[in-house]
Amino acid sequence: MTTAAAPQGRSAPGLDSDRFVLWVLGAAVVVPLIVFVVVPLVAILRLSFVTPDGLGLGNYVREFASPKFGRIVANSFSVSITATLITVTLAYGFAYALKRTTMPLKRTCGAIALLPLYAPSLVQALGILFLFGRNGIINRTFDLGIDIYGFWGIVIADVLYSFPHAYLILSAALAVADARLYESARMLGAGPARIFRTITLPSTRYGIISAVFVVFTIVITDFGNPMVIGADYGVLATEIYNQVSGQGRMELGAVIGVVLLIPAAIAVLVEKLVTRQHGAAIGENAQPLQLAPHAWRDRAALGFALLVCSAIAAIVLVVFIASFVTLWPYNMHLSFRHYRFEVQNGLAPLWTSIWVSLLAAGIGVVAAVAAGCLARWLKPLQANLLYFLSVLPAAVPGMVLGLGYIFAFNHPGNPLEFLYGTLLILAICNVYHYHAQGYLIATTSIGQLSRVIDETSMCLGAGRLRTLSAIILPIVAPAIVSIGVFFFVRSMVTLSAVIFLVTPATQLAAVSVLLLDDSGNSNQAAAFSVCIMLVVAAALGLFHALVWVFARRRPLP
Amino acid sequence: MTKLNVLTKVLCAAALLLGSGFARAGDITAYTALEEDDVKVYLDAFAKAKPGIKVNVLRLSTGDLIARILAEKANPRHDVIWGVALTQMVDPRILEMAEPYKPAGIDQMKQQFKDPAGRWFATTGYFAGFCVNTEVLKKNNLPMPASWQDLLNPVYKGQIVMPNAASSGTGYLQVVSILQMKGEEKGWQFLKDLDKNMAQYIKSGSRPCKMAATGEFAIGVSFAFSGVKQIMEGYPIKLVIPSEGAGYEVEVSMLMKTAKNKPDSKTFFDWLLTLDAAKLYGERAEMSSVPGAKATEAILKAGLPADVSTVLYKMDFDASSKNKDRIIAEWKQKIER
Repeated sequence: MTTAAAPQGRSAPGLDSDRFVLWVLGAAVVVPLIVFVVVPLVAILRLSFVTPDGLGLGNYVREFASPKFGRIVANSFSVSITATLITVTLAYGFAYALKRTTMPLKRTCGAIALLPLYAPSLVQALGILFLFGRNGIINRTFDLGIDIYGFWGIVIADVLYSFPHAYLILSAALAVADARLYESARMLGAGPARIFRTITLPSTRYGIISAVFVVFTIVITDFGNPMVIGADYGVLATEIYNQVSGQGRMELGAVIGVVLLIPAAIAVLVEKLVTRQHGAAIGENAQPLQLAPHAWRDRAALGFALLVCSAIAAIVLVVFIASFVTLWPYNMHLSFRHYRFEVQNGLAPLWTSIWVSLLAAGIGVVAAVAAGCLARWLKPLQANLLYFLSVLPAAVPGMVLGLGYIFAFNHPGNPLEFLYGTLLILAICNVYHYHAQGYLIATTSIGQLSRVIDETSMCLGAGRLRTLSAIILPIVAPAIVSIGVFFFVRSMVTLSAVIFLVTPATQLAAVSVLLLDDSGNSNQAAAFSVCIMLVVAAALGLFHALVWVFARRRPLP
Repeated sequence: MTKLNVLTKVLCAAALLLGSGFARAGDITAYTALEEDDVKVYLDAFAKAKPGIKVNVLRLSTGDLIARILAEKANPRHDVIWGVALTQMVDPRILEMAEPYKPAGIDQMKQQFKDPAGRWFATTGYFAGFCVNTEVLKKNNLPMPASWQDLLNPVYKGQIVMPNAASSGTGYLQVVSILQMKGEEKGWQFLKDLDKNMAQYIKSGSRPCKMAATGEFAIGVSFAFSGVKQIMEGYPIKLVIPSEGAGYEVEVSMLMKTAKNKPDSKTFFDWLLTLDAAKLYGERAEMSSVPGAKATEAILKAGLPADVSTVLYKMDFDASSKNKDRIIAEWKQKIER
């Protein structure tokens, strides 16, 4: 680390304005994190100590002493570790194929990989059951007697569910590289395997560790998939559901919510240990990697990518088809009858969802990129704290976060009480619910830029603000775009936290899907999900078209 | 475009984003667990009867709704709770939020549908039923069950699903009705025997019926109306009401002490007990406490009895809510996997 030396030779006024920029940026990042992450979590933490006899450890004792607790913890960890290993390996291979080979169909494959992000969770569960259920297509056709329910069902569903999250982070990591390193290695006689092991893997370790953390926390906090496909395989997240929704015992649910924060804390420690001696991959003289065609490698990459894509697409496609069928799987005639939605507000919640998602995309980009830049300029200790705060929300199950928001913002004493019941709080809740992913995409791309870039820029007299706007942001612009897209699509479909924040006037599309499914109209729920996916696809198309137009008008440096 | 025009637009956008989603004066806000399509029908009729009052409704599943009500307790946003399972509502933490009110016509209502202290009353209810997939039965050559006792037949092994009593109110209702019917000792033994045939305990009350409908399992133990819905949707389902008597639950309504619009809330509650409303209960609900409700042809055809009282097991609601914590703990220890 040589950061400390550079600014000293600079003139006093520049230093002051830089310090001011840092302070403003710091406040703009940290204050919202405290208000919208720490305060709700403290409310949950406090709740976990509330017993009928005042504050105490009673709830913890009661929960830990329950005979099944040990097994539920073990179940949670074995599902999460298995799914994490599979997902990160697959996603790394997939991102590598797309970013480091010259295979064809890259755009198509990249788009399909993101499908699970904008399919409501019900689509995933329905799709898997339509395909692999006891009465699913595969068992009906081949009479195999596959029983998908239980451990492997949860693993498969969660691999598909968390795949795009891992892919986004890993492709940000693999997108940038310094060609000179690869060239020198080749000239020194290193083979492809050795180059991969000694250059590619180490230079993407940020991304790998972030992806491991994100996937692990997504799987361990997910309760949708275990509910539908887990049968009697209990995990911590379903135990929260049992306590909170089954029995109205929020304080016991809070205890498990607190327990789930432990893996996040461990992950932060591990991350810091592994990346302690970090050197940035992208130096000040970095040359972008020129990919050369390579017949068998590109063919293998394409084969692998298509395999992954077809698994992902099959799930969504089967639900899409089923929504146009009279009565799956008994009457396969085409019909539009499921598209007459029998909910109070019809398709209106879809428009509310789009508003909320646009808001979340805007707020999310600013929050994640600002935090990513701040992390770059802070001293290690402060940076660690910021990292912890930023990724903490990933470890909080949506249900717990939603309850935390009620306790924090529905309180008459909270000056922000006016936010409760508005569209804005729904957007904010979505941003901080998925803050870790946005932050990690931002830091993965910003963190890979060499600090010498900052130092050089500052030595040449540019302040932080100018370094940021003229150098850093343009380089990471593609990552910024994908952060905005990420927050938009997640906000369109997420349910677990906002279900506690919607009001009669702020109904969301994902809630309509749940209500339809709840009242026994799963087919209408599937049809509504298809509408959501179409809107998201249209929005994404429009968005990419805009980016393309702007990129042509003012080419990026 | 003038500057003022732009300003107005910006202000409108801000109002839209910050505008609270809760009721304005003249409106009332109701939290309900009634089915979405039923809510729409009831409210359309109410709007015709009392055009001056607008009812804003938040609909969630029973468990999520109770969690939300308890979490919002510091600053409740709703005027009334409308149609939520009694077993969940008699939680003292919820009852203490009630403002006693006896709607006009409540004297006609049978005792088990109202609180003597006037804190709640129930207009509708639901009861246990088995959703049996006739296609799966035929394919596996299985007999049609008629009672809880029939479900112990080893031929059904791995073909039955029922709700998890710890996470679903319907699940608890079924367990407690068996314990009350047979006495605790024999009841637990019965549940253990039933467990041998059980494929899964499902986390929601209506899902077992849906799983039977799509043919995942032969028999889904659920509540009767979810069976009726799947039949109307066209699935090969037959609704079986256990011959021992079906455990039932009533859906209660409650006025909040903190209600911001009590007069209109009371008008709404009065309407819930009118003949107009009762006619709709006959079309939409499997049982009703309001005189004048009559089941429609379609519902009878789907397998519901004309006189529901003949198939119900007379539940002791006091005992079932008082013992809830203990029974769920025991269920988790003895039965849950």
